[in-house]
Amino acid sequence: MTFREKSAWVMAVLMIVTGLVYGWLVMTLSAALGQTAPPLAAAVPYVLLVVVGSVVLQTVLSLLTPKEAQAPADEREQAVMDRAGSWAGLVTGAGVVCALGWFLVQEDGRMLFHMVLGALIVGQVATHLFEIVLFRRGSH
Amino acid sequence: MAKAPPITNRVRELREAHGGMSQAALAEAIGVTRQTVIAIEQGRYSPSLESAFRISRVFGVGVEDAFGWEG
Repeated sequence: MTFREKSAWVMAVLMIVTGLVYGWLVMTLSAALGQTAPPLAAAVPYVLLVVVGSVVLQTVLSLLTPKEAQAPADEREQAVMDRAGSWAGLVTGAGVVCALGWFLVQEDGRMLFHMVLGALIVGQVATHLFEIVLFRRGSH
Repeated sequence: MAKAPPITNRVRELREAHGGMSQAALAEAIGVTRQTVIAIEQGRYSPSLESAFRISRVFGVGVEDAFGWEG
């Protein structure tokens, strides 16, 4: 398994776990406040968690395989990452369109924010999952 | 499963004929990962023209001796 595939696994797990935490946070705060969506500050713990988690996990991964970590992506890896990013862009776009549709109906700016952030999270998860599939498949 | 590209290769054969060169050594020589060499040998990935020339040069053969077109 190459460094980039390991990295994709690690980031996919991190984004899924933190995304679930974010979803739980939004729903819990919404219920507690009796609102459809909590204040935008609810996103702060999530962002901190993702940033710190990413730095820690990537650092550990790089320390475990320093030579691979320093090497640039080769042509197949680059093609895989490009294709995964392209596909994931469609996922993110679909999520944003859904969020905008929700806003047109509900006119809830807070919910729009949380839904767009959710779409970005799902898009990132999709990026890493597509990378894993394409890395494992071996072709592009 | 993705359809294999119609490009055939003799990379494994050339590697073995070249003193049993390892996949890792070939990967190092042409500047890709070992997994990419494995994917090329298994016909699951068609290398770029640059990598095809690099592979051929490592073995001292022409590109057409290392790669072919199926059918």
